[in-house]
Amino acid sequence: MAEKKNNPYITLLLTLLLSMVVGAIFMLVLGFKPFDAYVQLFKGAFVGKVNLGTTLQKFVPILLTGVGFAVASKVGCFNAGIEGELYLGAITAAWAGHYLPKMPAFLHILVCLVLAMIVGALWAAIPAILKVKWDVNEICVCILSTYVAKFFTSWLCNGPLSAKTGMPQTPAVHENIMLTQIMKPSQANTGLFIAFIVVAAVIWLLYRSTVGYKFLTVGLNSAHADYMGINSKKVVIQGMMLSGALGGIAGTIEVLGVYGYFLDNFSLNIANDGMLSSMIVWNDIRLVPLMAFFVASLKAGALSMERFAGVPRSIVDTITAIFIIFATMETLFHFLYKKKKTKEEKAAMTINAAPAGSEKGGKKDE
Amino acid sequence: MAAKDDYIVEMSDIDKSFPAVHAVDGGQFTLRRGEIHSLIGENGAGKSTMMKMLYGLYRPDGGTIKINGKVMEHLTPGISIGEGIGMVHQEFMLVNDLTVLENVILGFEPKKGVIINFEESRARINKYVETYHMDIQPDKRIDQISVGEAQRVEIIKTLYRGANVLILDEPTAVLTPQECTKFFEILQELRNDGKSIVFISHKLNEVMEISDRITVMRTGKYIATVNKEDTNTTELAKMMVGREVFLSIEKEKANIGAPILELKDIWTSGEKELSKIRGVSFDVRAGEIVGIAGVDGNGQSELIEAVAGLRKVEKGQVILDGQDITNDTPFEARKAGLTHIPEDRNLRGLNRALSIEENLVAWRFEEKPFATGINRNKKEIRKFAEDLIEKFDIRPTEPTVITQSLSGGNAQKIVVAREVDADGKLLIASQPSRGVDIGAIESIRKILNAVKKEGKGILLVSADLEEVLALSDRIVVMYEGRIMGIVDSEDATSDNVGLLMLGERLDEKEKEVS
Repeated sequence: MAEKKNNPYITLLLTLLLSMVVGAIFMLVLGFKPFDAYVQLFKGAFVGKVNLGTTLQKFVPILLTGVGFAVASKVGCFNAGIEGELYLGAITAAWAGHYLPKMPAFLHILVCLVLAMIVGALWAAIPAILKVKWDVNEICVCILSTYVAKFFTSWLCNGPLSAKTGMPQTPAVHENIMLTQIMKPSQANTGLFIAFIVVAAVIWLLYRSTVGYKFLTVGLNSAHADYMGINSKKVVIQGMMLSGALGGIAGTIEVLGVYGYFLDNFSLNIANDGMLSSMIVWNDIRLVPLMAFFVASLKAGALSMERFAGVPRSIVDTITAIFIIFATMETLFHFLYKKKKTKEEKAAMTINAAPAGSEKGGKKDE
Repeated sequence: MAAKDDYIVEMSDIDKSFPAVHAVDGGQFTLRRGEIHSLIGENGAGKSTMMKMLYGLYRPDGGTIKINGKVMEHLTPGISIGEGIGMVHQEFMLVNDLTVLENVILGFEPKKGVIINFEESRARINKYVETYHMDIQPDKRIDQISVGEAQRVEIIKTLYRGANVLILDEPTAVLTPQECTKFFEILQELRNDGKSIVFISHKLNEVMEISDRITVMRTGKYIATVNKEDTNTTELAKMMVGREVFLSIEKEKANIGAPILELKDIWTSGEKELSKIRGVSFDVRAGEIVGIAGVDGNGQSELIEAVAGLRKVEKGQVILDGQDITNDTPFEARKAGLTHIPEDRNLRGLNRALSIEENLVAWRFEEKPFATGINRNKKEIRKFAEDLIEKFDIRPTEPTVITQSLSGGNAQKIVVAREVDADGKLLIASQPSRGVDIGAIESIRKILNAVKKEGKGILLVSADLEEVLALSDRIVVMYEGRIMGIVDSEDATSDNVGLLMLGERLDEKEKEVS
């Protein structure tokens, strides 16, 4: 029987503390002052409008790609291709924002979003279709197709869609469709609210709608789904497409909220941070926002830590890595729960009138 | 023979809790030298847990375990094996890609320098084969041998490791009646040779046939230890369940109507074989139960999958109440009135990670009133689930409990409830009582009979011949993907059906031998 997950919040918090302690030891060994470094890290992430704004701005794409990854995982896919979907979504939005005729700003933003979603979804459908039709490993296809997406957008913004300014970028989108900045002078923008709405909608879709029920059923047990009359192959493709669409939204918000155009190679592995945020919390969509926010704060605070405490930014990557290692050790804090668990479970036992088979249920049957 | 108080194993006042269950509460068990001692009880009664403690897999919370008169404080499987305890688990612990010989010696290889001494191991194994008349083919790979043979390999493996005490966890569940007879002969020879055997089972006839003494457990508690001579199956069943049990339901004369399911010359392929099912034709009429008997793996599963739309029918026709449903999707087949209790409830039957209510509503979650558009109406689902839980006596009664934690019987009741409630024209019941306790078997059988009385057709598949005989109006016997014969229930006995199950070729062979 799989280990039960204990209270995930406490586990995450303890994991965080532990990795910070290990990070501190690293810093001591390297001759830095860990306390100062952490203070600067914290300040750099949260204190002051610019700092907090930067954190929020970084948070949005990590959140969306993280939720996107989690959605794919619900149908049993490992969508390693969100980065590619983000790039393609971004360039689609940049194109639509510049080349489409003038229309009311709200409508224009919506068109950008929808087009980017469609492109992202179609791109994500490729590995999904290959997977369900010919059993091709979707991770391989995703990784490779991400290169294709990157180089394709790179060619576009250097060639046909180039702004011809000497920089590898597309022409700027219409001024009026830029998302409003909310914490000037930082780059935080109303994309934050779009992201929240999107994530809320995804959570509703997954846990309250029939579509989401199909996703969960197929992801948890596709043989059961098929027997129940659900076409599991179709559902896997749908799940991946939703995942890709979320990548597309992330790209759109980067373009319309931060840059105003598509800049070659702008993302620098945003989607990887999103994937990590999702995986650390066992792809539990309801925890992804927390984790995404944490990763974003680390990213934002790292710069000021380097600047003011002299600690190299890479130490943050080290802490993140340690954090991931600890977070994946699911039984790390198990001992904490042992005592409490027996009490709780005993109480649960009185509710479950006949749980006698639970220990054996898995093994004995069949 | 067994000396009265020559105990090789004594377990007293054993106590063991798991996080969710008090699995054993005051467990008692003694084993004499050279006896076959059956340990019986329903699923979850604690029999396997007791034996796993003896084998050192679990550590008891309280009580003492004595082996050979020594109190064992910290038992591990290593120490247990050293003391001569051997266990054959319900699922075989064999490496499929290795040969029989390699499996037996794995971990205990006799060596010549750094090289495994295969000659010596072969000689040692042959000694067991000869002494106990256990046919095995040492050079075949595990995936090439039958289940019965794999079981013999497991027994030889434990003997090879020096076991004097053999713990057999539900060993007969996978055997045909004929294989069972042979298996029991082996057990008797082992006993006569001074080995002690713990026989875990819930098949009372077998227990009465093979045991010297019988210990009954119920919900983790020790009930009694009796000598075989002093008891009978009815009394044992009563001790196991805690009340009178009626498994052999009075078979009511079927009120047979028009054909509901017609199979016409069905051909379909298996995972390995191109034509697993070869030209099967029969029908199921309204108001009757047709049972398919056969040793596991003779095409029953593939046939059911083909009928239910889960496997491609290559040739032939499946007709449900006049409508051709050949190669329809499972969804279309359901719409046409096919309901199906699948053989593997953990794979297909249930989504174990989801709750009882989600499983009960699993095939109609998109219908009104359970959903409006794509919005799911949790309240309606809850109400529906609560109704079914009550109607089918599913425990726990809380609809949000995850099905993974349920006992086999209650898990199966969820599947049965969902499929019976679906109110189709045909109910396929594949292994409906596999791995469930007696109480649940009783109620599942009652339900199947009630469905039959409503005038629906039932196609029953069971590896348990007794079940097929007890429920069916007609019995279709399958062997290697073909129908060996169709027997009316009046004429069917475990002997004639059992022989058909082995196929005619084996039939002739047996005649030659005898």
